[in-house]
Amino acid sequence: MHEYSVTENIIAIVQDEATRAGAARVGSINIILGELSTFSGQSIEFYFGELSRGTVAEGALLNFINLPAKAVCLECGSRFEPRHAFYACPDCGSPMFDIKQGQEMFVESIEVD
Amino acid sequence: MRIEVNKNILASNASAAGKNRERLRRHGVFMVNLMASPGAGKTSAIIKAIERAPELKMAVIEGDIASEVDSLIIEAMGVTALQINTGGSCHLTALMITSALNYLDLDLLDLIVIENVGNLVCPAEFDLGETARVMIASIAEGDDKPHKYPLMFRQVDLVLLNKIDLLPYCDFDLPRFRQVVTTLNPAAPILELSCKEDSGVARWGEWLTGATAANRAAPAAD
Repeated sequence: MHEYSVTENIIAIVQDEATRAGAARVGSINIILGELSTFSGQSIEFYFGELSRGTVAEGALLNFINLPAKAVCLECGSRFEPRHAFYACPDCGSPMFDIKQGQEMFVESIEVD
Repeated sequence: MRIEVNKNILASNASAAGKNRERLRRHGVFMVNLMASPGAGKTSAIIKAIERAPELKMAVIEGDIASEVDSLIIEAMGVTALQINTGGSCHLTALMITSALNYLDLDLLDLIVIENVGNLVCPAEFDLGETARVMIASIAEGDDKPHKYPLMFRQVDLVLLNKIDLLPYCDFDLPRFRQVVTTLNPAAPILELSCKEDSGVARWGEWLTGATAANRAAPAAD
């Protein structure tokens, strides 16, 4: 059920934009998904099929664009790309870092007819 | 035609959470989001908090997929308890808390404890507007949970390690657990306790009392 409310939000955003543009149909939805986000594109697609039915977004193609993770070490200030939550700074080995990018999830753009 | 959107998918939750936080700040109320897997001892830890910090004016918001089992236990102790049934959803959202806050007289409260739905995954992703996040791990779950649910362990202010009385009966590597949690979240204290044996619970009560008092003192500066 994790992605259910997220998919509802995606459809609400798309409906809002499509209505404003006077579009009859949404061809595709481009979603940026941070590398460290725990939301699954596959699950969103699963719920999207059901939840979009009867809306302007019905039948739209979902494109997920991966956004790489970026972090700053709290010890030495080095900038690096953490691959997972247990990553340590490649320069000084400290496990303490601030995640600057990679947890986001947003609707980047839509293609409408 | 391509339309640039650039809208955060969790923006509606983030906005509701921000409003909840501001509403609580105005009333000087400390709100704890208590998270754990099913059966780790969330309700037991709340019961111990009520016993150990009786001077705190407290209310409890219970989140469960179904039933009023937990809120009835808390109400029986003379503490206001609101039950949210999510009807299948695996986590509470900020708007559910907004509705619950409408039922509470915030001027009469110091502390609200939210018992989130038993789950180590989704609750970590949804900000409710809480002032602090506390999670409970328990001995019977095994020492590998921080490896499997790093986001949860990374973002809490306090870790309670419950059912410490079961340590002799389980293959739980306590030093390993402490080391991994500290690696993920060096700032979060780990309190070992047993709600069943009533051991270690005084420090949990002290943490709540101290954090609530510090929060009460904070808005005066604003």
